[in-house]
Amino acid sequence: MEILLRDFSFILVFSVLAIILAIIVFVIPLFLAPRTKGEKIESIYECGVDPLGSAWIRYSVPFYLYALMFVAFDVDVLYLFPIAVGYLKGEGGKEFLLLLVFLGLLVLPLAYAWRKGVFEWRYGGR
Amino acid sequence: MVAERVVKDLQALGVDLEEVPYERRGYCFDGRVQREGILGVAEAFDQHGYFIEDVLCVDFVNELELVYHFNHWEDPRRFSIRVRVKPSDPEVPSISSVYPGAGWHEREIHEFFGVRFKGHPNLAFLFLHPEIEAYPLRKGHVPIPEEDRKVLEGRQPEGEEESFWINMGPQHPSTHGVLRLLLKMRGEFIEEIEPILGYMHRMQEKMAEVRTYIQYYPNTARLDYVGPLAFSMCFVGALERCCGVEVPERAQMIRLITLELNRIASHLLWLGTYLLDLGAATPYFFAFDDREAILDILEGLTGSRLTYCYYRIGGVYEDLNDGFLQKVEEFIGRMRKRLKDYDELVTGNAIFIGRTRGVGVLPKEMARRFGVTGPNLRASGVGYDVRISEPYAGYRIFGPEIAVRGGCDCYDRYLVRLDEIRRSLDLLEKAIRRVPEGPSRAERIPKKPPEGDVYFATESPRGEVGIYIVSDGSDRPYRLKWRSPSFSNFVSFTELGRGMLIADAVATLGSLDLVVPEMDR
Amino acid sequence: MEVRGPLIRFGLLEELLNLARANSLWPMTFGLACCAIEMMATTAARFDLARFGAEVFRPSPRQCDFMIVSGTITRKIAPVVRTLYEQMASPKWVVAFGNCAISGGPFVFENQYNIIEGVDKIIPVDVYVPGCPPRPEALIEALLKLQEKLTGVRRFPVPERRW
Repeated sequence: MEILLRDFSFILVFSVLAIILAIIVFVIPLFLAPRTKGEKIESIYECGVDPLGSAWIRYSVPFYLYALMFVAFDVDVLYLFPIAVGYLKGEGGKEFLLLLVFLGLLVLPLAYAWRKGVFEWRYGGR
Repeated sequence: MVAERVVKDLQALGVDLEEVPYERRGYCFDGRVQREGILGVAEAFDQHGYFIEDVLCVDFVNELELVYHFNHWEDPRRFSIRVRVKPSDPEVPSISSVYPGAGWHEREIHEFFGVRFKGHPNLAFLFLHPEIEAYPLRKGHVPIPEEDRKVLEGRQPEGEEESFWINMGPQHPSTHGVLRLLLKMRGEFIEEIEPILGYMHRMQEKMAEVRTYIQYYPNTARLDYVGPLAFSMCFVGALERCCGVEVPERAQMIRLITLELNRIASHLLWLGTYLLDLGAATPYFFAFDDREAILDILEGLTGSRLTYCYYRIGGVYEDLNDGFLQKVEEFIGRMRKRLKDYDELVTGNAIFIGRTRGVGVLPKEMARRFGVTGPNLRASGVGYDVRISEPYAGYRIFGPEIAVRGGCDCYDRYLVRLDEIRRSLDLLEKAIRRVPEGPSRAERIPKKPPEGDVYFATESPRGEVGIYIVSDGSDRPYRLKWRSPSFSNFVSFTELGRGMLIADAVATLGSLDLVVPEMDR
Repeated sequence: MEVRGPLIRFGLLEELLNLARANSLWPMTFGLACCAIEMMATTAARFDLARFGAEVFRPSPRQCDFMIVSGTITRKIAPVVRTLYEQMASPKWVVAFGNCAISGGPFVFENQYNIIEGVDKIIPVDVYVPGCPPRPEALIEALLKLQEKLTGVRRFPVPERRW
């Protein structure tokens, strides 16, 4: 029980420090930076002219698929971190095999998407 | 030859043609036609494979004269076809259905002179700002009527379900100057391109009517600041042609040497900035370093790094100083070694080839209809170069070999420009051994040019530069029109860019080598 | 457009901040015409503006400190210049590079219809660099003058007159 509490206290200290750092980064410019109030300081930058149309448009599907692939692999990397830490505690052989199976299952949808042509732009939509 | 066949066709159409001396006027055939016949004339030229060089307008106060220049790649005898209209009824049929490039020149004439073109798809104002009151290049004050004023704002984009409009605006790292493109995008593909120019319109043509010839001369260097000597040569050559001034041979060879050095400098700058657009930062520093070597040589001779005022009517300003030819020879050796570096870094680079091979294909027929010239045309398989078809300065003594490739894509345009650097170095090597002794300036030049008009063309690093001067016998030009190569090259992009990915559009726009002030004048 | 100063302000902190700002001024690429080529030559290998801190040329106005206005200001591009200036975050400075940005340059004639004679008619300018186009060394001198305006101390000695 104490070991569990000790491990969680590390996480607590880490998260408190991260939150304090984020707050400091917001607070320092509040005190030290000059503030501009003008007509265009908050407008959208579009090469110096007023932006054409609104940003609420129908985006085409390939953008969404790229984003989906990215998010999936981002989460995979997140799972790899604890595996990397726990890897040292075991013998070696069994963990390596488990890791390969894990990564293999993750690569399968990527290969499927590649074959289906997600990464190519085709004129005329899909 | 082709010209004789066209002459027969034109005479059958009722055009009043006559042959004029090329050495005095700069064009070979001068024709007059009624305004209804201009479409038939354009079709006749199109059938025989002529390309549209320029369309311009001159305001003689009681009538407006439209001049169309047509030329051919293999038989470069220029045709100048004129149409006269009354200012009370300035309407002419448009030839943009036959030559789309002429459609853009017609748009410019519409906004500067008020001539209306029947059948033109889109006569919206291109260059001028919305508060302008009168047509700028008309001799009197002719106010812009209400229905044209509404058109000043340009076409407003209307969104559809699948596409959206995005603005590749005047301040953009990849547009090489202040060029604004409205892109209608569908996903990552471009459906339509609507350019808005005029952000660098510095009234060069109006200024020419207010200043004398000598006062106007420094402006010629500010038109194309990367290769200014070709424009200076054009201006000076036109005046020499119409006044009949004989330029001494020493001056001609000096002009050739400086023109070729300028061509190498311009191609090096293009190389650096094009590769910077594609994402490679190293060739930029190499190219600018080599360019500084050229600028040192030219500064020692002319006194300026960028905007030279070195040529004068009848010769050059100052003779060569000691050591100039020696420095050029050292530079040639240095540049040849450096070209090996460029080949290693860039030419075989897999990423570069992947980005430029097969991208931005400009077929020969499209180039002809838009009037594309220069390395862009030579990369599409056509060996047309003004230095060979209409030699001027020292090119009469030995002409350059031109580099032609057949691939029509961005990679071939890159290879053509690299080849041109090599050919320029060969030409320089021959030229520095053949600079004869003699005066560097003609003895007498007339104070005022005679009445009439004259055309002169030179080959700038971007293509064919032309100047058309109408003189009324005084010391100021009556009308001065520049035929700008970047304008004709750019308007082909509006057709090329359809259906391209936006990254490919950036690569193509860079490979066309545009300089915006000469487009906007 | 009003600028409100920082909440906490004392001498040593201001000096420190100005020193930090002066040594890492990031310019915005706003090359309009011929002077843009000399600006590009200044960043290249021979004249190297990066050794004075102006390392990164950002195209977006949100990320840069000062704007080098190099080239002629036409009536059509004047609202664009104004918009970009307002979109920059304080503190910001402007360098008018070249004769056209100072007072219209060689394009001023009677009854001219398209240029604005000088960029200081639209936005406030801190350093003026005359020339048509000015040499790259002039742009380096302009940067050093801007740094002197911020810190109060001239970093490198003024080149001595030789005539």
